[in-house]
Amino acid sequence: MPVPDLFFTMMKEEWRMHSTVFGSRGFALFPVVVATFAFLGSLTLPVFSDVLPHQTAALLALVLFLLMGVMVGSFGLMGREFMNRRFGQASLIAYASRSLPVSERRIFAAFFAKDTVYYILLYVLPFAAGFTAATPFVSLDPALGLLAFVSLTLAFLMGLSAVCLLSTLYARSVRLLIGAAAVLAVSGIAVSHSGIPVFPPYAFLLDPAPRPLVLALLLILVPAAASVLLVTVDYPDRTKRFRNSLDPIAGRLRRLGSAHFIAKDALDLLRSEGGAGKVIFSFLLPLGLIWVCLRILIRFIPGIDPLVVFAVLLGVISATIYNWLTEFDSFSAYAFLPVEVAGVIDAKLKSYALANLLPLAVLVLAAATSAGGAGSFLPALATFLSVSAYTLAVTVYLTGLYPNVMLYHAGVFLRYVLATSPALLLLIFASLLNPAYGFLSLLLVLPAALLIARGRTRWRAWEMPGY
Amino acid sequence: MRQMIEAVDLTKDYGSVTAVNRVSFSVAEGELFGLLGPNGSGKTTMIRMLTGQVRPTAGSARVMGLDVADDPIAVRRLVGIIPEQETPPSFLTAEEYLHFVARIRNLDAVEERCDHWFDLLEFGEKRNVLCKDLSRGTRQKLMFAQAFLHRPRLALIDEPLINLDPIVQRTVKDFLEDYVQDGGTVFLSTHILEIAAEICDRIGVIHNGRLLSCGRTEDLAGSGRSLERFFLDLVRGDAGA
Repeated sequence: MPVPDLFFTMMKEEWRMHSTVFGSRGFALFPVVVATFAFLGSLTLPVFSDVLPHQTAALLALVLFLLMGVMVGSFGLMGREFMNRRFGQASLIAYASRSLPVSERRIFAAFFAKDTVYYILLYVLPFAAGFTAATPFVSLDPALGLLAFVSLTLAFLMGLSAVCLLSTLYARSVRLLIGAAAVLAVSGIAVSHSGIPVFPPYAFLLDPAPRPLVLALLLILVPAAASVLLVTVDYPDRTKRFRNSLDPIAGRLRRLGSAHFIAKDALDLLRSEGGAGKVIFSFLLPLGLIWVCLRILIRFIPGIDPLVVFAVLLGVISATIYNWLTEFDSFSAYAFLPVEVAGVIDAKLKSYALANLLPLAVLVLAAATSAGGAGSFLPALATFLSVSAYTLAVTVYLTGLYPNVMLYHAGVFLRYVLATSPALLLLIFASLLNPAYGFLSLLLVLPAALLIARGRTRWRAWEMPGY
Repeated sequence: MRQMIEAVDLTKDYGSVTAVNRVSFSVAEGELFGLLGPNGSGKTTMIRMLTGQVRPTAGSARVMGLDVADDPIAVRRLVGIIPEQETPPSFLTAEEYLHFVARIRNLDAVEERCDHWFDLLEFGEKRNVLCKDLSRGTRQKLMFAQAFLHRPRLALIDEPLINLDPIVQRTVKDFLEDYVQDGGTVFLSTHILEIAAEICDRIGVIHNGRLLSCGRTEDLAGSGRSLERFFLDLVRGDAGA
């Protein structure tokens, strides 16, 4: 089968997979929602230009798309388990090289091309279109839209190809992966001292010259080609054996109730592929970037304390922990046991509360490194806890046990943003005036409780789909 | 004799598709009842309705005297279920999964129960392996073990022998026959006619959501016809009607 045929079949498969879950219209509208938010966000650029220079905003957007490429690519590491939990014994073309007369390289090349085109259409193009549409209103040259599209595409593909290479190496040998990561790290440090741009998409955005473009293309094409050449489905035998850890963990959590569910969540997190990577890439790295940006911000506006603002963002990002907790679980796994959906959700909430000790530690660390840390720690703590609870409540109400798929539905995503962003923006602005206004966040606790209660009732009525 | 399952005009619509259409039947205590049908005929939807996993659009069902729509959790507490497609959680070991199910069902003597099933189905050497690393056959053994872990009086099992090797298939068939002889009741859904012919006391044939025939196995397949011939004539006749 030629690669173009495989490519188009995979494109169809990807579309059908998503549209089966969200409905064709709901999923087709997702890029429209991305474009709308990019448009609205771009309109606010002049408002924040004093505190967030355009160049810094552009760098943040490029880093965001780099991370997005990493996340799309890392799906290859753990995608099969995810798909099996969601759709039963999923049988995707990408996994079928042993049953089809097609080489693994062809399948992987088509898979890489499919991910590139599909996710550029889903995220990058709508984002760039939204930004371009806003340029006339913010006194920017509309031609910047094209430049933004190219730079964002380069950043996205850099993340995608790097993680594809790393996952290919991982499939061959963990030592090979560690060695390659070490070589990359040393090369990065060496390059940073040589005057060559470390992040060529950003250099290309600032100066659209051939040099950064060629460099970016090399950083995309070389790892992509290497991962296609080295790809293997003959994973080394990694059948690990584990002693029963469920009962000991549950024993320690007995007083919380739902102890075996919480223990299962803990084991899912600890044993799933990419467990530590998830924590680093989707949690600690974005938080570190945000904290650094906020510390830069206070140089432009002396006198403000960024800790409460950080606590707001920390609360929002913490809600993604709920996505981790539901990633390898679905209610169909319990539907034949004497368990209610509401019972599973309650257990997830307890797991979430325990897992929130991690962001709490991050907040304490941030307070320790903040100039006015001690004074604003209490309002920041209240803000973090309230925002985390509220954002979680909105997620549970809207998506039940399926945040990883439901948030791609345009309607659900729109409602999520509308339910969270006004309150959070208000909190951010109020806390910039005075950190003590962070205590206002406690007002979110009541709607959070109501949403959780309504969410439990709503998802109790949920029924397994058929046909 | 006590009726363990009583379905009256049971109907399930999924949008414009009627998966099960006004089906009525009953299963008495101590029976091994087989629901036969081609793929997509409504067998799995029937089991899901009888165990409260989906709500009927119309009609009613009582399982062990309980109205399934009123208290599905109570029904699932009493019965054992092997779902058709579900696999055990990826990141628990086989042993942990059985312990997990045992805790949900508030069972005692968990080790003893688990050991019994590891020995009977001969997969004790896999007890410490993650479910994701188990073969399909071993996963099916595990799903079988979880369904009978609490020694239910009624089991509703969907394609229970799929992926099992002939040796374990024999063990499972023997177990089911002993289980029924000891007073247990089985509602078995399958499209493998040989299994039904070999172990079922009574058989229902479902096609396009409608129950075409229901009766004792020897009566249906009687008059010199094999069960396969009877089934094919019935289903093809219905498809052509």
